[in-house]
Amino acid sequence: MEKDEKKEVFDVKTKDDEPYKRYDWREKLKTRDEKIKYLKSALRYWYSNECYGSEKSN
Amino acid sequence: MDKDYTASIDSATIDLIEKAKKEEIETIFSRAEEIKPCPIGVEESCCKICAMGPCRLPRSKRESRKERTGVCGATIDTIVARNFARKVAAGVAAHSDHAREVAETFLKTARGETQGFSIKDELKLIAVALDFGINVDGKDTKEIAIELGERVLEEFGKQKGELTYIKKAPVSRQEIWKRLGVIPRGIDREVVEIMHRTHMGVDQDYKHILLQTTRCALADGWGGSMISTELQDIMFNTPVPVMGSINLGVLKEDEVNIVVHGHEPLLPELLVLATKDPELKSLAEKVGAKGINLAGMCCSANEVLMRHGIPCAGNFLQQELAIITGAVELMTVDIQCEMQGLKNVAECFHTKLITTSDRAKIEGAIHIEFHPDKGLDTAKKILRLAIENYPNRRHNVYIPSQIQETVVGFSHETINYLLGGLFRASYRPLNDNIINGRIRGIAGVVGCNNVRTTHDLGHITLTKELIKHDVLVLTTGCAAMACGKAGLLVPEAAKKYAGPGLSEVCEAVGIPPVLHMGACVDNSRILIAATAMVKEGGLGNDISDLPAAGAAPEWMSEKALAIGHYFVTSGIFTVFGTTWPTLGSDKVTEHLFHEFEEMYKGMWAYEPDPIKAAHRMIAHIDKKRKALGIDKTKERVLFDMDMRRSLG
Ligand code: SF4
Repeated sequence: MEKDEKKEVFDVKTKDDEPYKRYDWREKLKTRDEKIKYLKSALRYWYSNECYGSEKSN
Repeated sequence: MDKDYTASIDSATIDLIEKAKKEEIETIFSRAEEIKPCPIGVEESCCKICAMGPCRLPRSKRESRKERTGVCGATIDTIVARNFARKVAAGVAAHSDHAREVAETFLKTARGETQGFSIKDELKLIAVALDFGINVDGKDTKEIAIELGERVLEEFGKQKGELTYIKKAPVSRQEIWKRLGVIPRGIDREVVEIMHRTHMGVDQDYKHILLQTTRCALADGWGGSMISTELQDIMFNTPVPVMGSINLGVLKEDEVNIVVHGHEPLLPELLVLATKDPELKSLAEKVGAKGINLAGMCCSANEVLMRHGIPCAGNFLQQELAIITGAVELMTVDIQCEMQGLKNVAECFHTKLITTSDRAKIEGAIHIEFHPDKGLDTAKKILRLAIENYPNRRHNVYIPSQIQETVVGFSHETINYLLGGLFRASYRPLNDNIINGRIRGIAGVVGCNNVRTTHDLGHITLTKELIKHDVLVLTTGCAAMACGKAGLLVPEAAKKYAGPGLSEVCEAVGIPPVLHMGACVDNSRILIAATAMVKEGGLGNDISDLPAAGAAPEWMSEKALAIGHYFVTSGIFTVFGTTWPTLGSDKVTEHLFHEFEEMYKGMWAYEPDPIKAAHRMIAHIDKKRKALGIDKTKERVLFDMDMRRSLG
């Protein structure tokens, strides 16, 4: 975890039109390329081109 | 009259039960005192599938006979297995018909044929499109969504092959299912086949009936429920941490209160949108209200709570009580878990009860049918009706003061992100903390409320016992709401209730020891989180290798049985409380409780005492830790700053 990211989780600003606190980390991913790259790394368990972890040998 | 402290552990609930008694209003609590469960039905020793019966086969009456059989010769084992299978099929049908409605709305939205809906989450859209083998290169969002909507709808009527999501499971789990011949072909087909096979004189081998029961349940967990979750995320956003509040105290004395109750988040999403309409806001002021207060009930509540922070008025057994406050102008109900008793309670007050689904009417309720092409208009019409009803409050209004803050919205994607951040998102830190013993294991605590047991007691006793022993709890449905009311869904709960290891990890990551993962269809998120843990490595090759267990201590609905059955047959030891529906047959019970472990490496258990249930789960977790060779007690090392950083 990036040092500063954690702090934000429960210390977020309330948006003007939303009466609640919300930590939308997904807003950081802007472009289609960034999103696909994120899927391939963060959710590599399904979206990486290579088998991963416990299924490496399969 | 003394307060009945056996009805609930929640004082807001007890107060309103008292109010109902004083005002002589019938509720589920008073009806349950008058109607006791049928002793033959409770163990499912009764068959009524043909007109030669019903054949009632209680143990005591037939002890002298060699075998308990119906008029047709059906054994008690066949009868109990058939009853169990039909219950599971009904649960699967419920989740999957919800999924169908969502899928149809999704496709219409993609084609621009709905009002108020949009494709909000492109990241999830791409992920699900890739799951369905759709090439996303060079296609815009609309094209991908249309292709996906069409593909998803095929899952329901497919006759051959395998459901698409089956391949998301760990490879070794898929092999187990393949070997046993239980991979679902199409969602509807598996439900229909159960209804056929349990018709009079068809499948009369209890083990064979239970194989199809498994195939049907898997069509829910890895089919209908998973489809609902994923498409709802695309349309309404994947949950991220949100602050919210819970319990009947969220209702407001000086505002127009609208309670959304049920399961499909479609209309509730638009009601959220409609509350921002300036015209409706000023209409509310005109009738003397300070604002419009939308609150949720049951799984509709979970959906809007985790996506918008909309307050949650309570779980299943609190639905009538919300109206008994006298402060609810209108309650909408769509599908599932809505008691018909609501209508009588609403009639005692000014509350308008509105049914909104074309599949579910309640005699005497107002029916305003929701159709996605005019969705926002319908939402506004309903809000207007509520606002205009505000001056009609006629009773003593009593809103309990109980209200509890919660942090919800822990989708598996968010957990993955919180553990590693944007550039190193991963389940690795969770696996490492299980391996090093700070976290003993993972438990899913899910399911309903049941008036035959003290409201919320099972959920809270079991959950507290688990976290005290360093088991991280993932929760959904009414169980999640019970945890919210008890103050377990806030990060501070870790210090207060969790064991030292779990508490340390929660503090380092900044999460509660009990993670709210959503509504009952979102149990599919637990399957995916478990799969990610397996695939990450270090905890075996299959879900059944994980130090993990499941529980539904206060279950009551057929959907809970469907969920339990897909948990078990996905490799998770699962304990149900309150009652168990196969006790009429020793063979069926033995098969589900013991022989299933050989077959699926996961099995059912029944334990009504929540402390004992927790310890059975912990014993199972310890057994799995031993098998993985991670059972040795390591010297506990406290986190220093570097270690906290390296957690990700
Ligand atoms: S199917 Fe057989 S056991 Fe069932 S009601 Fe008919 S005769 Fe009785």
